[in-house]
Amino acid sequence: MVAQLLRLKLSLLANTLRRSPWQVVGILIALLYGLAAAFFGVAALVALRFADVQFAGTVVVVLGSVFVLGYLVVPLAFGVDDTIDPRNFALFGMPSSKLAAGLAASALIGVPSLVVAVIAVAQVITWSRGPLPTFFAIVGAVVILGTCVLGARVATSVAAFLLSGRRAREASGFVALVVIVLLSPVAVVLASIDWGKDGTAVLASIAQIAGWTPLGAAWASPADAAAGSERMALVKALIGIAFLAILWFSWRALVAKMLVTPGRESHARRESGLGWFARLPDNPAGVIAARSLSYWFRDPRYRISLVMVPIVPVLLIVPLYTAGVSWQYLALIPVPVMCLFLTWSIHNDVAYDHTAIWLHLASNTSGWADRFGRVVPALVLGVPLVLIGSPICAALFGQWSVLPSLLGLSACILLVGLGFSSVMSARFPYPAVRPGDGPFMQPQSSGTVAALAQSISFFAIILLALPAATLGLLGILVGGWWPYAALAAGLIVGTAAFFGGLAWGGRIFTNRAPELLAFSLRN
Amino acid sequence: MKRAQAKKTSATPVVPKPVRETVLVLDGLSKHFDSTFAVDSVSLSVSAGTIFGIVGPNGAGKTTTLSMVTGLLRPDTGRVHVHGADVWADPGVAKRNMGVLPDRLRLFDRLTGSQLLHYAGVLRGLSGPTVKSRAADLAVAFGLEDALDRLVADYSAGMTKKIALAAAMIHSPRLLILDEPFESVDPVSAANIIEILQKYTAAGGTVVMSSHSMDLIQRICDSVAIIVGGKVLVSGTMEQVRGAQTLEARFVELAGGRRAAEGMEWLHSFSD
Repeated sequence: MVAQLLRLKLSLLANTLRRSPWQVVGILIALLYGLAAAFFGVAALVALRFADVQFAGTVVVVLGSVFVLGYLVVPLAFGVDDTIDPRNFALFGMPSSKLAAGLAASALIGVPSLVVAVIAVAQVITWSRGPLPTFFAIVGAVVILGTCVLGARVATSVAAFLLSGRRAREASGFVALVVIVLLSPVAVVLASIDWGKDGTAVLASIAQIAGWTPLGAAWASPADAAAGSERMALVKALIGIAFLAILWFSWRALVAKMLVTPGRESHARRESGLGWFARLPDNPAGVIAARSLSYWFRDPRYRISLVMVPIVPVLLIVPLYTAGVSWQYLALIPVPVMCLFLTWSIHNDVAYDHTAIWLHLASNTSGWADRFGRVVPALVLGVPLVLIGSPICAALFGQWSVLPSLLGLSACILLVGLGFSSVMSARFPYPAVRPGDGPFMQPQSSGTVAALAQSISFFAIILLALPAATLGLLGILVGGWWPYAALAAGLIVGTAAFFGGLAWGGRIFTNRAPELLAFSLRN
Repeated sequence: MKRAQAKKTSATPVVPKPVRETVLVLDGLSKHFDSTFAVDSVSLSVSAGTIFGIVGPNGAGKTTTLSMVTGLLRPDTGRVHVHGADVWADPGVAKRNMGVLPDRLRLFDRLTGSQLLHYAGVLRGLSGPTVKSRAADLAVAFGLEDALDRLVADYSAGMTKKIALAAAMIHSPRLLILDEPFESVDPVSAANIIEILQKYTAAGGTVVMSSHSMDLIQRICDSVAIIVGGKVLVSGTMEQVRGAQTLEARFVELAGGRRAAEGMEWLHSFSD
């Protein structure tokens, strides 16, 4: 049976090469990356053979622990498409312990496992400094290989098991985002260390701790043996073996449990009352606005843009600040940029509905009501953003005279963006992530239309905001009445583009509604 | 009421009253995708106060036909009149008179059941209080009282069908266009829905529905059309179409394609 499962895994691997050329390219790139990483790892480990024991041990334990952690965490954070999920075998009636062994063995086939195997063997070279270190290194290699491969299997299955519900699947992307955000302080701490002076000391203390954890124990045991403390080496080797045993038993238990648990029922959330629908007028534009608002706060595809909007200015400001731009001018960036991304985020709003848009067709909803309802959430968030954010940023800038320009530019971007997005989403929809899929999942096909629609709607907004931006710049450089001219220009252009865009987009929607539904059906 | 009595005495064929108003007319409706005709000049007329069934094998063009009737799919040629109004020239009037249950299209499923009913009702031009009272009635009628506070995305397939059906009826249209209304609905709920539909037609409403279940169509429909390969092979009252046979026998005879299951003898010698 183990042989059968191995053959299955091999043919699954071979079949991935029969897909579209681009997927093959993707697999080849992954393979190349994996082999390159393994190559550098091997080169470093061989070079460490000639370094002193203390230094080599520190480097191997720290990097090794990170390496093992990666195998455990990546499947949990991103959720993997698991071709050999134990549940796929539930209907074949195999004994679960044999199945667990077979699946674990077949997990050895694949690029990640290949990389671990190569690294684990190379690590033996580093410690080929005598019989005892070599012995512990060989034991360590087996433990490392087993820990990584089994750990990844257990993590994958736990992810597939826990993330099977709709809500959990949607959440997995957020987990990844949160992990990345939480890791950034770590990066800051690491960056703030004076590596030239304290580097080795810091690393050594990290290695000291990591060596006692299951992640680093197998790496640390030959290092201890090489340093002469055989007893420590033995204890750490036992820690590694014990962890591997725990993984093995949890894997067996997991397989047995998964075979009899077809799918996890997600816990349904209840929400009494009508929510936003109770607070907005009972007319088509009102209910569409209420529906949009509910979606913005409930649907991860919208929430992700809500999360990204405040992050984008940070991403812009940090490099500019490190490049030496003064804080004063950077204070002018956040509000217009957030307005830009807030309004831009709805330029493909119709595609987000997917085929649910039929309800608007069947009830002969006016294009105007549809367009207006959809911009309400961005307006509800954007107007306070402009009115509150602009004075704060003007205060940070240090001159109140900049406030009219900032208000004008931000309002202009907000209104122009909403008007223009209303036209784009009716005229040039492109495939979006489907309702219920994770926000980071890619749609089946997007291609050039998507790229074109995205860049057109982005740059058109900037183009129409140029007058207000130019006048605002004159306001900063020359002063006088220019800031008020910027405010006036921004409001005039913005209002015209807002209502013009809604009317135009509404007409397009009314005329093209069946084509919009046909588009959704195709994607 | 008369119709309901006619049902009970269906052993003796009843001649339908010819004075009935025609509520839906399809005239030479065609649609092709690429080079194949999905629907090839379909013409039908449906009288008020009846249940009209459309049956056909998979891929016969039932859904395509109904999508063109409801204004969801633009026909290549042909016209559709609902209560005298052209669906594509005068959609405002025509669509107001129609309640629609499409097949395999999504709902706005991030709304709770009551939000979805509210949404559909207000889009159909009802006032807030009217929507609320009707939504409550519909929830009771379809057995969805406990589900109204849950997201539609978390409903089972049958419950989703029921809430969509409730949303199709909320504006009390003259004509209900239901594409596979009983798919994945449990028998008890189906019986409830049939009763609702029969009362609705007795009061003068009209139902057009497609289904795979021949028994069901034969049992509840007054008239029926058999569509195969995008063409109407036969249409008329149930008695005219099926004659002395069951609808299923007549359908199989017309649609053809019954294959004797040969070469499957191994299935009858069981492995251990």
